[in-house]
Amino acid sequence: MVVLQTVLNGLLTGGLYALIGIGMALVFGVMRIVNFAHGALIMVGMYAAYFAFTLLGLSPYLGWILSALLLFALGWLLYRGLIRPVMGQSDFMQILLTTGVWLALVDLAQLLFGADYRQINLGIANAVVRLGPLRVSSGYLLSFFAAAVVIGLVYAFLYRTELGRDVRAVAQNREVAPLMGIDVERVSAVAFALGAACAGAGGALLLPLFYLYPTVGDPLLLRSFVMVVLGGMGSVEGAALGGLVLGVAESLTGYFWTDSYSQVVDFLLFLAILLVRPSGLLGRQRA
Amino acid sequence: MSGGRRWLYAGSLAALLLLLLVPLGVQNAYYLEVLFRIFIFAALGLAWNLVGGYAGQLSLGHVAYFGVGAYAFTLLTLDLGWNPWLGVAGGVGFSLVAALVIGSITFRLRGPYFTLATIATAEILRLLVLNLQDFTRGAIGISTPPLFPGPSADRAFYLAAVLLAAVAYAFNLWADRSRFGYYLMAIREDEDTAMAVGVNPARTKLLALLPSAAITSLAGSLYASSFHYIQADYIFSIDISNQAAIVAMLGGAGTALGPVLGSVILTTASELFKEVFQTAHLLIYGILIILVVLFLPGGVIGFFGRRSRRRAQREPGPFAGSLSGEEGSPRHSSSSST
Repeated sequence: MVVLQTVLNGLLTGGLYALIGIGMALVFGVMRIVNFAHGALIMVGMYAAYFAFTLLGLSPYLGWILSALLLFALGWLLYRGLIRPVMGQSDFMQILLTTGVWLALVDLAQLLFGADYRQINLGIANAVVRLGPLRVSSGYLLSFFAAAVVIGLVYAFLYRTELGRDVRAVAQNREVAPLMGIDVERVSAVAFALGAACAGAGGALLLPLFYLYPTVGDPLLLRSFVMVVLGGMGSVEGAALGGLVLGVAESLTGYFWTDSYSQVVDFLLFLAILLVRPSGLLGRQRA
Repeated sequence: MSGGRRWLYAGSLAALLLLLLVPLGVQNAYYLEVLFRIFIFAALGLAWNLVGGYAGQLSLGHVAYFGVGAYAFTLLTLDLGWNPWLGVAGGVGFSLVAALVIGSITFRLRGPYFTLATIATAEILRLLVLNLQDFTRGAIGISTPPLFPGPSADRAFYLAAVLLAAVAYAFNLWADRSRFGYYLMAIREDEDTAMAVGVNPARTKLLALLPSAAITSLAGSLYASSFHYIQADYIFSIDISNQAAIVAMLGGAGTALGPVLGSVILTTASELFKEVFQTAHLLIYGILIILVVLFLPGGVIGFFGRRSRRRAQREPGPFAGSLSGEEGSPRHSSSSST
């Protein structure tokens, strides 16, 4: 029963991870760019939701919309201003550029908001909900469902709209897509902005659960890498599954070993997948 | 020996001599400390340059060897009662073993997969050091033993950093001009073609990593001792890996002088910035790296240094072209075919 409880806790965290991982996977899938600024974008989304709550009294369970919109705009600008110029360049330069964006955003936050730990106190996130013999924190439950809604929206966009189809087409084959009359530039901007929006929404939904400080996104950046690799680089479904697997793996490590080793297990899993099954858990080996 | 080379070596030696004389004129502890940092990070950038610059493998996990050097030196000296310098040598030993293990795992991967794997290995080390409290004191950290007891420690640390940077610079000159260095550059330009003409990429990259890890480890030991205290979260911080790469890229990756120049610029800029903004002086790192990637892909050397025809031909910098492996495949084509 305790194991079941542990798995459930892991799944709830995993749902949030999944949302974050999807954002990273979208960017990698469409642009083949590993976005090292992803964790910093999550952090920006958290600060946005924090100020929406403290200044406007907007609960993060609505504030995620604001964070997502803000990050969509920021992502669009980042793409136009910084990412597009390095699109044809080596991944060496692309990684360095997004690393630069990461460092700049984190230290900008440090400069503007200081290194203090912040936290919001949300009544509805502090209750305990009983599900039969299991108990869960209402905050995790609410964030999980909100994340599921956002993931559903992203899915609906990708599979039910023309633009979403274009995004999938570019992810499938960047060279052939323009021959089909798809505007690769616009699709790339949308994908990058949407990836940032996922990070923003994810950050907002983490706010009721985590402390907030400028480097809060760094461990989440590393987790996004793990998820995207678990799912097969660039696969959105895979990254979502990767998020759930990661959540459960961390939770079980915490139970059977100690919490402090859960991230070691993450990274070992990550290296193992990279070396043994580079196409990810769901992926098929390419010929 | 050609005339150009003779001048280069003579000039380098003269510069080294001058740098070793600096403490005669500079007694101010603060300036000596800044100078120490300039040359420690120059050594780090030069060490990184062997793998990241000449071989074009973007490692963002070099802090692994820095941290191993810092911790091995400290623990061997404090807990096993070794002579501190023997502890430093022990750190190099551990780092070489770490490099063999990490290199043989990560060099099987390409492009972003390689970079991510280097980060993962460095993070695993950080978490292990943080959690194996019986050995490492965990999150509390440890006071480090002094390498240079006595009142002139500042000067001694500075001189040690200059000598380390000089050794690292010599390795870079070697990579710049030797057959081995050409193998590295061939791997950077096109790994498959390099392999086709008989270069063994896995072994060559590993051979470049060994001196790189050893120098990084020495820098870690020196830094640990000069700082008097280490703690896993900052001594294994990814910021240090990033800094090694930034220093080299800023000055000009794949050139011997580049990382030295990069460290002078970056460390000075960061000190000046620190005066204005107490915290967050790392902001300048982020902005500089963005500017370098967008406008100076060859670094400062690539921009001003048109003296070398070989480099001028490579404009706009050695990393501008696409180096990535075939899409979607993180592995070497070699490892899947054999």
